[in-house]
Amino acid sequence: MLYFDHSATTPIRKEVLVRMQEVESKHFGNPSSVHRFGQKSRSLVEAARRQMATAIGCQPHEIIFTGGGTEANNLVLWNLIHQKQKHVITSAIEHPAVLKVLKRLKEFGLSVTLIPVNKKGRVDPAAIEREIRPDTGLITIMTANNEVGTIQPLAEIASIAHKKGILFHSDAVQALGKIAINVQESGVDLMSFSAHKFYGPKGVGALYIRKGVHLQPLIIGGGQERRLRAGTENVAGIVGLGLAAELAAGQVQETRSHLDSLAFRFRQEFTRVYPRAIYNGDPEHQLPGLVNVTIPDVTSDILLINLDLRGIAVSSGSACSSGTVEPSSVLKAMGIANDLNTRTLRISFGKDNTHDEVATLVEALDDIIKRYRN
Amino acid sequence: MSRSVVVGMSGGVDSAVAALLLKEQGYEVECLFMKNWEADDTDDYCTAEEDYRDAIQVCDILDLPLHTVNFSREYWERVFTHFLQEYREGRTPNPDILCNKEIKFKVFLEYALKLGMESIATGHYARILRKHGTFRLYKGLDAAKDQSYFLYTLGQKELRKSLFPIGEMTKKEVRERARKMGFPNAEKKDSTGICFIGERNFRAFLKQYLPAKPGEIVTVDGRVVGRHEGLMYYTLGQRKGLGIGGGYGNKEAAWYVVDKDLRQNRLIIAQGHDHPALFSTRLTATQLHWTTGERPDDSLSLQAKIRYRQADQECRIEFTSDQTAMVTFAEPQFAITPGQSVVFYHGDECLGGGIIDRVIRDNSSYESAITGEI
Repeated sequence: MLYFDHSATTPIRKEVLVRMQEVESKHFGNPSSVHRFGQKSRSLVEAARRQMATAIGCQPHEIIFTGGGTEANNLVLWNLIHQKQKHVITSAIEHPAVLKVLKRLKEFGLSVTLIPVNKKGRVDPAAIEREIRPDTGLITIMTANNEVGTIQPLAEIASIAHKKGILFHSDAVQALGKIAINVQESGVDLMSFSAHKFYGPKGVGALYIRKGVHLQPLIIGGGQERRLRAGTENVAGIVGLGLAAELAAGQVQETRSHLDSLAFRFRQEFTRVYPRAIYNGDPEHQLPGLVNVTIPDVTSDILLINLDLRGIAVSSGSACSSGTVEPSSVLKAMGIANDLNTRTLRISFGKDNTHDEVATLVEALDDIIKRYRN
Repeated sequence: MSRSVVVGMSGGVDSAVAALLLKEQGYEVECLFMKNWEADDTDDYCTAEEDYRDAIQVCDILDLPLHTVNFSREYWERVFTHFLQEYREGRTPNPDILCNKEIKFKVFLEYALKLGMESIATGHYARILRKHGTFRLYKGLDAAKDQSYFLYTLGQKELRKSLFPIGEMTKKEVRERARKMGFPNAEKKDSTGICFIGERNFRAFLKQYLPAKPGEIVTVDGRVVGRHEGLMYYTLGQRKGLGIGGGYGNKEAAWYVVDKDLRQNRLIIAQGHDHPALFSTRLTATQLHWTTGERPDDSLSLQAKIRYRQADQECRIEFTSDQTAMVTFAEPQFAITPGQSVVFYHGDECLGGGIIDRVIRDNSSYESAITGEI
């Protein structure tokens, strides 16, 4: 079995799992309890907050834990209904955890401007600047796209946003562990993360909230997470997130160069056996290890099932939309024609993939393409 | 039988190391986090949440319980209302001294004793030595960090029941121990400013509680040179923020606050740091308190500090009643400030102190000219 779908999710690190098992079995106290069972759990949560903060270059009090990246995005976006300025600027290639929320929020009086991307999937900061209105309350642009892996110019967008006093949020779910993340350098005010994308557990995420930015809670109840996220903390999950973030950030350079070499190897060998391959994305600003490739001779549903029969896992577009032959809205936004759009694979390598595995993938693809061509 | 102690944990490195040392010395240690101020959720300046986070991680590392107690009602009633009253009366109080007197070594001490514990400990840089049955308060060995100035209100009852475990250490040594233990607050910077105000704008804070009454700024020779925003915003000896430009007197020299004329709501200033109106050799002190319970012989030559971190000043003391005295310094003192404390030393021993009530001007000609008082 070969797994090349790390943008969908990653396998949990052994040491993270061991730590979580230990926490779940030994430290069951409620972090809000005043007795020492509670104190132990609270301490674990706070240690994880420090790890997460260090991983992205902020202070611990600027981190709150959520039930995942989608929830972190929702928390940010739903705050717009409390705001006077109800205009949002976003990109056409955001994840549904942003775009569908915004669509829903239109029913609550929000107006949304979608910024187009170029053929490589990149947002032009000048286009954002042009769309700013007096009632613009938020700019939200993802750090790196989940389908094509294009990294967006966050620092430039942040400086435009701050010049006008507008908050800037970025969904960094795909980025942590693959590229260095530093909230000071990127200048974001809010940033969403999800543990299972960086070899941590599912069902837990984090939101960076720059000191001085005030949000209203989405989930209301007890006073957890500075009253921004009620509900008894997922202690083991949070501990897992903290450790996974620390390891991901600590090893980002070596992970990055490994992923780059796997992607390079794949492109080199696959192009050799199949010169008609078209690589989508922006080679100058590409998320390491993510290859989005159009194979004009075979549709992606055929490729996926045949690879799966061989025990090889890749995806078409994002995992959330695979299983359908709906054309990818991201590729559409990049101006890729519908017939090619449905003939595209997303291959996302992980830190444990090897060059031999890449060779096996290329052989399999070569075999399938030859069989289905014409 | 092990002795029992409750350590007041602030979240800072000093109390963390205090707890560590007591544990090493075989004490039965309980830790207590005091919440003395109720801040609202959006208060960016309140570090209590952050401090608690550090405290609980330290206690986790030391395997010590951390209890939390809320003394904010007591703090409000016994410290903060007094603090405001002093400002209303044109004085400059020191709430940290009052907090030690009324909260840490009264409410907290009583709380700990009632729990059945034998003593309390804090992370102050000061020492308590027992000599011939008397508990004596001494300066901390780290001259740069000595905090005995803030502790002069302690008496035999308090000193008998208190421990200052880091009084023999330097700050550098304290941080070194904390680093070795992996305390998250090992590098945390020392808190500055008044605990409930934090690093926020002092004027804005005070304005929430006291009405500002603008008035005239007058020079010592009687010229009206500008307007002040309210006497409470100024401290004697203060240089900056007077809001008067050049154009008066010597343009090179800065202006300093010399006095506050409460009756006419005027701020009195003089030009030049060396201006005689800024200096005086005598003051009257009230609310005198002696750490041993016995007032020193008035023939004894003493040293005193009229502000924290000042070098010891030679002085003589003449008692005018049980609670009041006239203090005469060998050298003229800069900007003696009513409301602050004068604290007496004999060598390294802190004998006690009192609140500065009045400054006796050596040259009172300006004073009678401006205020009509003698």
